[in-house]
Amino acid sequence: MEELDGEPTVTLIPGVNSQKKQMCFDWGPGEMLVCETSFSKKEKSEMVPGCPYIHIIRKDIDVYCKILRKLFNESHGIFVGLQRIEEELTGKSRKAQLVRVSKNYRSVIRACMEEMHQLAIAAKDPAGDSQFSSQISILSAMELIWNLCEILFIEVAPAGPLLLHLLDWVRLHVCEVDSLSADVLGSENPSKHKDFWKLPGNTQTLTELELKWQHWHEECERHLQDGTFASSPHLEALCKIMLGDEAALLEEKELLSNWYHFLVTRLLYSHPTVKPMDLHRYAQSSLDVFLGGESNTEPLDNILLAAFEFDIHQVIKECSTALSNWWFVAHLTDLLDHCKLLQSHNLYFGSNMREFLLLEYASGLFAHHSLWQLGVDYFDYCPELGRVSLELHIERIPLSTEQKALKVLRVCEQRQMTEQVRSICKILAMKAVRNNRLGSALSWSIRAKDAAFATLVSDRFLRDYCERGCFSDLDLIDNLGPAMMLSDRLTFLGKYREFHRLYGEKRFVDAAALLLSLMTSQIAPRSFWMTLLTDALPLLEQKQVIFSAEQTYELMRCLEDLTSGRLVHGEPDAQQLQDDDIETTKVEMLRIGLARNLARSIIKEGSLEGS
Amino acid sequence: MVSVINTVDTSHEDMIHDAQMDYYGTRLATCSSDRSVKIFDVRNGGQILIADLRGHEGPVWQVAWAHPMYGNILASCSYDRKVIIWKEENGTWEKTHEHMGHDSSVNSVCWAPHDYGLILACGSSDGAISLLTYTGLGQWEVKKISNAHTIGCNAVSWAPAVVPGSLIDQPSGQKPSYIKKFASGGCDNLIKLWKEEEDGQWKEEQKLEAHSDWVRDVAWAPSIGLPTSTIASCSQDGRVFIWTCDDASGNTWSPKLLHKFNDVVWHVSWSITANILAVSGGDNKVTLWKESVDGQWVCISDVNKGQGSVSTSITEGQQNEQ
Repeated sequence: MEELDGEPTVTLIPGVNSQKKQMCFDWGPGEMLVCETSFSKKEKSEMVPGCPYIHIIRKDIDVYCKILRKLFNESHGIFVGLQRIEEELTGKSRKAQLVRVSKNYRSVIRACMEEMHQLAIAAKDPAGDSQFSSQISILSAMELIWNLCEILFIEVAPAGPLLLHLLDWVRLHVCEVDSLSADVLGSENPSKHKDFWKLPGNTQTLTELELKWQHWHEECERHLQDGTFASSPHLEALCKIMLGDEAALLEEKELLSNWYHFLVTRLLYSHPTVKPMDLHRYAQSSLDVFLGGESNTEPLDNILLAAFEFDIHQVIKECSTALSNWWFVAHLTDLLDHCKLLQSHNLYFGSNMREFLLLEYASGLFAHHSLWQLGVDYFDYCPELGRVSLELHIERIPLSTEQKALKVLRVCEQRQMTEQVRSICKILAMKAVRNNRLGSALSWSIRAKDAAFATLVSDRFLRDYCERGCFSDLDLIDNLGPAMMLSDRLTFLGKYREFHRLYGEKRFVDAAALLLSLMTSQIAPRSFWMTLLTDALPLLEQKQVIFSAEQTYELMRCLEDLTSGRLVHGEPDAQQLQDDDIETTKVEMLRIGLARNLARSIIKEGSLEGS
Repeated sequence: MVSVINTVDTSHEDMIHDAQMDYYGTRLATCSSDRSVKIFDVRNGGQILIADLRGHEGPVWQVAWAHPMYGNILASCSYDRKVIIWKEENGTWEKTHEHMGHDSSVNSVCWAPHDYGLILACGSSDGAISLLTYTGLGQWEVKKISNAHTIGCNAVSWAPAVVPGSLIDQPSGQKPSYIKKFASGGCDNLIKLWKEEEDGQWKEEQKLEAHSDWVRDVAWAPSIGLPTSTIASCSQDGRVFIWTCDDASGNTWSPKLLHKFNDVVWHVSWSITANILAVSGGDNKVTLWKESVDGQWVCISDVNKGQGSVSTSITEGQQNEQ
């Protein structure tokens, strides 16, 4: 057995508590069921009251969280947009575009935080309040990490501007920095400072910056040594800080909220032109010095450290463990992948890291009754296992309303998932048949292109007609169009209905021809011929001659065919005799009608026009 | 992170032996030594008792939901040697069929892939496996494989349906010809693979030997579009094997030992969408396993019974009672 680096997480299930009992489990479509049981099957129970609880457990329950809904929705838009513009991302503008996408994601996080903040204020409920505040702090941490990743990995700020970006980063996330900066910067030599920082680095080379800084640093040192600030210990301390004196800086520890704030401040005054590759050394030491061995590192610290070390995989891994859902790592990893920063990491579970995380995130979305629609797009952009994952998930979406069923079907049809379409339509068709909604059943079976089922439903229609003497769902049958060809029985149903329409429109000759063709072309099932012949009777009884002599011969042949095929099965009972009587009468009537028609048609055809 | 999202109080008066979610995850069926089968509506974190089905005269060992295209149908099997099929008609659940063809406890029931029709396989302690096929109008046809396993059959599991290539251009009205297969595990320490022949008879196609004690459970993995077939088996001997067959060759199954546990392994089950294997150990844990890129099976999680609190979900009001 291979080992992952780290023990598998253990989840404790409450209540299942006994030495003798075991845990029974099974999978649902998106969850797991566990309950207490005893596997060794004994006929007699032990008479020990068992635990009657069944626990349903899931991963990714954040998908149910209403507040995060906006986050999921809006980030979905950004994600899809990023995939689509991938081909267009070239050359110099590429980096700028990717940075913009990153900023978009971050603004979505901030918008979500803001909304939660408003809700918390409005709610005025202490329990809800704590829930909100914990969510807000999680989102805040996510934005902090993302921002740092954006600076280090995407923006790839070179030495010089790097510190500016880090300053912004700290300033944005740590409110107190403003007061400290103001303090420190509001020193005796504001002009020198202004000069120094006015330059964004575009017009100066790194070396020039270094020189300027060196010069200023030396001047400060001279001032300190000369005792310029001797009269004011406060100013003296300030000066020491500006020279990057660690001890002095640490004395103001309360003003620094955390170690990365300390790090950036320290760098500001001792190594403002720090290079990215040197960052991690200062980071580690800042962490150690700031904590001073008092407390342990928290997950957030480890993540930030990994970022300063430019270890992208470690960042993703730590985030995956620390956060309760896949949203963050899935989107960040995808973005970094577009920046071509992920090597094909030999992940344990096949495919690459990006796809793995996207699949996990998307699977979680399918648990939700409407967010699944977002999940579809994520699966679409997973080239290896996306399609098959979508096929498995989409069949399990409960088809609670027709509208939802149509949505699901459209997704499947757009992607030529014919098996899924067939299966879903069949489920809906059979449900319709059970509820006697034949029209609905027929349309579902047509959509599924399921010939066998269409035949079954058509048979039901015809049976209904025989019993009630009329058709249901005329609209549907009248407008079948080319779908009629799906099955022979369905074609017959459509054509038979057409016969009735023609008759209704008094287009008797056309109706007659159609009726005959239904029998001679063998499209009509044998069992229905008697009905068809009976339908011919009124046409035979018309004043004018409708069936030609040849047609009449055909009809006669059909009738003889039908009657000669009848056999008597054993002793006929009373009902059967009665039925037989009716049958015999019908046949007699038909024979008379056909004979009469034959005579009339022969005469008509033999005569000259007008006579 | 895994959370308990719902705790259903089944009010069973005795040991629960099986719990199954339906196809969509909206209903839960449970069965117990108290001889009853219960069905709950568990949508949106709720629990509403829909049916309390009585009819068995002994502990009920397993329940299985049929595919939704056939309606709401549930099968149950019991120590009382009976298999009962329950169906929901017009909003109420009723017994629709009772099968009494076994001489001993029926241990396992499993519905075939819906593509084959409505077919139920049942494994019994009398060593036989029976196959019930619904033929319409309330009629069920029975085929029996006697002496499938000496001493007894403990588990049955169907292979996923393989779409035959000729399905695309079927003449209208004709049924496509599937090759139906299932696996069974028994007290003869063997796993057997069964195939339906053209004449409708079931024949033993393969014997898989690796366990040294009674096979307690077999589970055929759902298909994720790859050409290999995979079966998991667990046994009294504490071992769990993963059997794979490269469909190109068709007939060679090779076992790989997933793990040797310290105690009897009773139950293995594949997740429906992610090919994760859940294994129950006698050491009161459920472990989850997944296959890595290089073909090794890795344990990814432990679900452990325990006392006290658990990482709770966002929904308030969870009852974490003992």
